Amino acid sequence: MILKRKLTKYVFLPTFIIGIYLYNPFDIFLIGNEMSFVFIILICFVIEYFIEKSKNGEEIYMRPIAAIKAMEEAVGRATEMGKPVLYIPGIASLDEIDTISGLIILGHVSSMTAEYESDLHVPVAVPIVMETAKETCKESYLKQGRPDLFREDMVHYITDDQFAYAAGVNGIMLREKPAAVFFQGKFYAESLILAETGNSIGAIQIAGTGSSSQIPFFVTACDYTLIGEEFYAASAYLSGSPEMLGSIKGQDYVKVFCIVMILVVFINSILFNFSLMNFNITDFFRINLIK
Amino acid sequence: MKRQLAYFVVIFIGFLALAGHFINYPPLNNFIDNDATQWFDIISGFAAFLGVINLLQLHTNKLVYKRKNWEYSILTIVSFMLMIVFGFFYIGMEGIPRGAHLKVEGTAFYWMFDNIYLPLGSSMFALLAFFVASASYRAFKIRNFEATLLLISGVLLMIGRVPIGHIIPWWMSVEIYICIIFALTANKFSNRKNMISSFILCLVIIPLIIYFLNITHWNLFKIPEVQEWIFDVPATAGSRAIMIGIALGTIAQSFRIITGREKSILGD
Repeated sequence: MILKRKLTKYVFLPTFIIGIYLYNPFDIFLIGNEMSFVFIILICFVIEYFIEKSKNGEEIYMRPIAAIKAMEEAVGRATEMGKPVLYIPGIASLDEIDTISGLIILGHVSSMTAEYESDLHVPVAVPIVMETAKETCKESYLKQGRPDLFREDMVHYITDDQFAYAAGVNGIMLREKPAAVFFQGKFYAESLILAETGNSIGAIQIAGTGSSSQIPFFVTACDYTLIGEEFYAASAYLSGSPEMLGSIKGQDYVKVFCIVMILVVFINSILFNFSLMNFNITDFFRINLIK
Repeated sequence: MKRQLAYFVVIFIGFLALAGHFINYPPLNNFIDNDATQWFDIISGFAAFLGVINLLQLHTNKLVYKRKNWEYSILTIVSFMLMIVFGFFYIGMEGIPRGAHLKVEGTAFYWMFDNIYLPLGSSMFALLAFFVASASYRAFKIRNFEATLLLISGVLLMIGRVPIGHIIPWWMSVEIYICIIFALTANKFSNRKNMISSFILCLVIIPLIIYFLNITHWNLFKIPEVQEWIFDVPATAGSRAIMIGIALGTIAQSFRIITGREKSILGD
């Protein structure tokens, strides 16, 4: 019975949805996005399957991520030293998933600062991010039973300008000498200016970003860096809830699938180039996105 | 109830935005492409006022209560007020309509922007060069095998990208490679004398072998070609691996948010 239900939910349902999309009755679907649709549906169902599995009590092994483990250590260190914690949620607005991930991690970090009674400082570059960050911190302090420790000026606006923001944050770093600095969000050219200043004051620095071009700078200047998908998985990892951990497991299985597909494409390309096969799989993967 | 409503809005808009990319319904596509982004801009515009109020409030409080470093707040408030005056009230030039004066050369606002704001921004950007130098110095320190590889590829990239790289002859490239190989294997030699003698021997013999084998035209002996290969193959492979991870992470994160599982953003 359970198997039947699982088969219906995770095999027949996605197949049915994909079938309907490819059949395209009454032209209700856009033409050209088939490949991305199929992959989004498959990825979502794989993640959903592992979330369900995890909710049903299956043990999920999570690879220890040093940067996530170090977050609590960093806040603890700041508390011991009697210095503040500086959290920088990047310079992008809320339309970037990196900023949203940064704010989710901020929720966890502010819970820790509330618990340890450590001072938190969140300078932001976008007003709408400031409001969201303020609410996130307020809720975290409330949840920890320490609303008295929350201050309205904990999260404050500096400027929208990239380098003026970098100058402002550098000033805060040099004047207040925070013991722990978190860079979690979307960063551009200011990443190295900020990280190097943090390094010069001897703060423990933990970075995380989805901007692949900024990752090398953070790796060089910070103590710990969340690279690529680790950054997005951090909030799930920190929450520790089986639902969230299941989604990471699902994501990892999709990654394994991607690795297998890369190998298949690699072998096919070699065979195709030496005319040992007359089918080029890369033609099949080419996505013609309408937008 | 307030929180449930927030979840509902997040989930509804999330699915709607996703549907807009796949469903052939022009009003929906138009909403996703234009209206939704305009809504976001309007909300952000209102939030800008909150930002300004927050900035003024913070610095006024600092000034009034003479909190730590209150002196800097004077500068912030004065600069803020000055730009407000030049932006809204004082144009500083005849015959220029209000509003257009923000982009006309010669107005007080433009002068302030051109002579104070831009040089300050450029100075901050210029600092990057020094930070890159100090970060590179730390990254290139030979601590382990990975750092050594980083140093080697960094040096090859630097030589290959500058004009002098193009005039380096094949034999000098060979000597550079020999130096690199010996730098990597130096700790394997138990006797220092043996190491130095084999190093000198290699420096003399290997270029001769390459010359007599007539393979001096190989791309391996042209530093710019090697740097191109490092850039196009190993570096691109590494960055694409990270990009795939980021893409998968983005999908998983978005899935968690639009299915209402990731509630931390709303304080849960």
